Order: sequence, then structure tokens, then C-alpha cells
Amino acid sequence: MRGARRTRRAPRDTLIAFVMLAPALVLLAIFVIWPMVQSAYLSFFDWSFYRESVFVGFDNFRRVLTDDAFVASVGRGLLFALMVVPTQLVLAFAFASLVAGVSRRLASVLKVSVFIPTAISTVIASIIFILIYQYRGGIANWAIGFLGIEAQAWLADVGLALPAMAVPAIWLGLGVAALIMLAGLLDIPASYYEAAVLDGAGWWQRTFAITLPLMKNTFVYLTIAGFVANVQQFELPLVLTKGGPQDATMLPNLLIFSHFRDDPTVGYSIAAAFLLFIVLGTISALIFRFLNSTQSED
Amino acid sequence: MTATTLISDAPQTESRPARHPRGARGPRIAAGLLRGILVVAFLFGALFPLAWLVISGFKARNEVTRTPFQFFPEVWKWENYAQILSDPAFLRTVLVTLAGALIFAALSVAINSMAAYVFARLDFAFKRLVWVVVIGTMFLPGMAILLTSFIVVTRLHMLDTLAVLILPGAASAAQIFFLRQFYLSVPRALEESAFIDGAGRFRIFVSIFVPMSKPVFVVVAMTSFLAFWNSYVWPVMTISSPDLFQIQQYLASFRFERGNSELGLLMAGSALAAAPVIILCLVLQRYIVEGIKISGIK
Repeated sequence: MRGARRTRRAPRDTLIAFVMLAPALVLLAIFVIWPMVQSAYLSFFDWSFYRESVFVGFDNFRRVLTDDAFVASVGRGLLFALMVVPTQLVLAFAFASLVAGVSRRLASVLKVSVFIPTAISTVIASIIFILIYQYRGGIANWAIGFLGIEAQAWLADVGLALPAMAVPAIWLGLGVAALIMLAGLLDIPASYYEAAVLDGAGWWQRTFAITLPLMKNTFVYLTIAGFVANVQQFELPLVLTKGGPQDATMLPNLLIFSHFRDDPTVGYSIAAAFLLFIVLGTISALIFRFLNSTQSED
Repeated sequence: MTATTLISDAPQTESRPARHPRGARGPRIAAGLLRGILVVAFLFGALFPLAWLVISGFKARNEVTRTPFQFFPEVWKWENYAQILSDPAFLRTVLVTLAGALIFAALSVAINSMAAYVFARLDFAFKRLVWVVVIGTMFLPGMAILLTSFIVVTRLHMLDTLAVLILPGAASAAQIFFLRQFYLSVPRALEESAFIDGAGRFRIFVSIFVPMSKPVFVVVAMTSFLAFWNSYVWPVMTISSPDLFQIQQYLASFRFERGNSELGLLMAGSALAAAPVIILCLVLQRYIVEGIKISGIK
């Protein structure tokens, strides 16, 4: 394609190109790029809505990185992602294997069903799970009652709140992971399995020798994207627990947001957000490159 | 489609071999049973929380948190649904959010498809640079620019207008990338004759590319609609007049203000707010799976 373009070069359409790009470029410039530049700039200032800003060098970053609350929240975010992502991967893989082996109609019912929660808002999901976790009359306590376990104060218990919050996170995110997993699974040429079956390989052998190695990229993508997304979970703790009890669900973004709301000097929040951006943005850009470069190989 | 041809009952002689070959009778029944259990588990896990939401919407005020726990309401009360539907504040919120979401979806399709077409087909100055900048915005974590975006819209005097909800997210690198993937796959021969006839780039876009874009436009419109309908934090930060309240904002403030006292009503409202989203998923299900394939993530 590229060679063809070079020999029969299309006229350069710079003018019409920029006219058609204008709406997108203008909006991105005002609402994404400009705020980003400001973020980078303001993170070096002691800034507030009401006063002149003062240049403070790396002070904001120092404050953030030496703030135990921030460091703890990042650790908590990673722990939270560690609860959500592996569970999601196992469920998504089980789902994909299941859908690949059932009738067409059932497959489409399963696909739609598992996708629906993805479209539900975090607010509504939180409301549903607040209801499910009610101490009195909540269905979670009713269910564990059958197992002889006494009622728990799920979202109000310091030890339980984070895992309790992982459940709605898994519920909300499984759909996309499952469908991506399914697309990856169906991409494996059937002839590979044909050969394995002829050699007498069983389901486990086929899964470990063919399916999992060939789906490595899918797993890498879902793992990293899942970590990046879940460390940043923000609305869920905001609505579900407001970060409580005793900061047990205070994830980094919620901490930044609360600082922004309550703290008259915004430098801290912006520096913290900017740090998170550098780390997480770099990670996402790297997987994006990695996937684009490996995609054509198979 | 290949998903569903891989059924275990397919005869071995078929060109596409079964992923689960016929084995001994015993294991086959066990496998079938396991599959059945998994199907039920996935359907239950995905859909039960929503069913629970709807059922709870029928419960009386004190019934939701009553012990001993009761699965179904004692009396199915339509009152909650009737009451929330006759609340002018709720109705206004739904209508305002719906109007905003529709405008947002339409704008998103128009702006991003033009940009995607330009990147896929046109040859212009600084193309590579512009592309890198645009695609770079995809990796910005929302929190990194949330605070400074707020500062920007405050400076632009956009607070408390519908525009502040619609404009900042309308241009989206992710949507541009997705649409561009689709346009890159369109054979060049299709536009060649129009080109020879002397049609301009914009004409070619409108008369050739737009008509064939239905499946991708549906995906872009749907994801944009969902993003708008489900957004919570941005409206909370930027909208304060009740006339422009957004649905998630309404539900969350309902929850925070009235606590557990009106859970039945809150559940009814949430169920009604989730309904359009679920209907959208059901109606547009086949586009969702297609969309994941086009996006090239697998």
C-alpha cells in the first residue's frame, strides 16, 4: 500500500485536512492539551483560585511523595487491582472457553448478558451493592447465614471494605475483558487444535500448550490495562464508601480529589495527579506500542 | 460466528474440528454438566444485581432493610416507580441528561469521524506530528487533567451550562483511533472513480465514507451516549443549578441526602435510570462484538 502511494502520489490536501480536523483539534487543544500543559506547569507552583501563585520548585512533588497518606493510597490501589484483575482474567478466560463451546444462540445470550453490567454507571452499581451489603436485610448477609457465618458489616469493616468493593469492580469490568478474551480465543486457527486432537491431547493439554501461549498478548494487555484502570478507580469508592472506613478504601485518585476539594492550595493535588499521569500514562502508551508492534505477527 | 460452529456435537469429519472431541460417555456428561453450571453462574452473576435492583424497587420503605431478610417484597408496590416518575425533578433530570447525551453522541460521531477520515486517507503537512499529539491524549489519565480542566472551564465561564458537559469530551482520541482503523480497511478503489470525477475530499467523505460507516457510527454513538449518561464526577464539579442536574448526580445526591430512609424509592429511580442503557445494549448487541473486532484489541 505504501509503495503504491509513493509512485502515484495523491495531491497534498493540507488545507482541507486541517479544515476537517479543526473541530477535533480545537476541542482537544482547549479541553485536553491545555489542561495537561497547565497541570505540568502548575505542579511547580503554590497555586490557588484566590491568590497569586508562587513558584515552589519540586516542593509539591516532595510533599506528595513524603505524604504517608498518598503512599498508602497507592499501595492500597495496587492491592485493590491485585484483587480485581486476576479474578477478572480467570473469569474472562472461563467465559471465553465456555462461549466457544456452546450453541450460537446461547453464545449470544451469554455475550449480551455479560456485557450489560459494563454499561451500567458506577453510581448505580454502587447503589446496588450498598443494598446488597446492607447489614440488616442485605442479601449478602442472608446468603452467608446459610453457611453459618454471622452477619458482617461489609462496607463498614476496615478489613472487609476493600475486598467488598472489589466485587462491584469485577462486575462492572468483566464484560469488556470477557469479550476481548473471546475475540482472542477465536483468533486461534482451528488447525492447531486439529493437530493436537489427532495426537491425542486432552483439554488441559490443549489449553496449556496451545490456547494460553497463543493468547499471551491478550493476557498481557488485559493485565496491564486492568491494573492501570483499577489503581485509578475513583467513582466507586467515592459513592460506595467515601474512602472509609478509616481510609480503608481511600484509593489514590479519591485522595487527590478530596485534597482538591478541601485544600485551598491546589499544588499538592495537581502534583500528585501529574505523578500518576507520568507513571500510568507511560505504562499505557508502552502497552499500546507493544500491541501494535506484535499484532501483525500472527 | 466461528464461536458457535465449534460445538462439541459437530462430527469429527467436518472441516472445522470440534474443540472438545467426543470422549468416553462419563467424562462427556461431566463436561456437559460443568458447562451448564458455568452458563447459569455467568448469567446469574451478570444479571442478578440488576434483577435485585428492580425487585427492591418494589419494596416498601422499611422493607429493604428489614430483618429477617425477605427475598421478594411482601406486597409488590408500584408506588415507588409511580412516585419517582411523577417527581418533576426526576423527570427533568432524565430529559436534560437524555438531550445532552443525544447531542453529545451526534457531535462525537461528526467530529471524530471527520478527523479519522483525514488521518486514514489524506496526505498533509505535519501529519505525523499531529497524529502523535492527538493519539497521545488517549493516554492521559482522567485525573491528571480533571483539576486543570475544571480551572479551564471556570475561566471560560462555562460552569453550569450544558456546554460544559458536552464540549470537553466530544473530541476523543480513542474514538478517532477506532474510526480510523475502520477507514484504513476500506479499499482505495472505492473512492478512486469519485476522485477522477473531480470530487473533493469532503464530498468523498460525505458521499462514500459516511454511508458505509453505519456499524462504526453505531458503536461510537453508543459509547459516547453511555459515557455521557453515566458520567458523575464531572457534572458534580461543574453543574450546580438543579435545572441542569444529570441523572447520576441526582441519584448520588438522593442517596447522600436521604440515606437509608428512602431506599425503595432510590432503587426504583436507579432501575429507571439503568433501563435505557440496558435497552441500548439489547438493541445494539451485534454491533458491540463487531466493534471489539474492528478496534483490533485481542
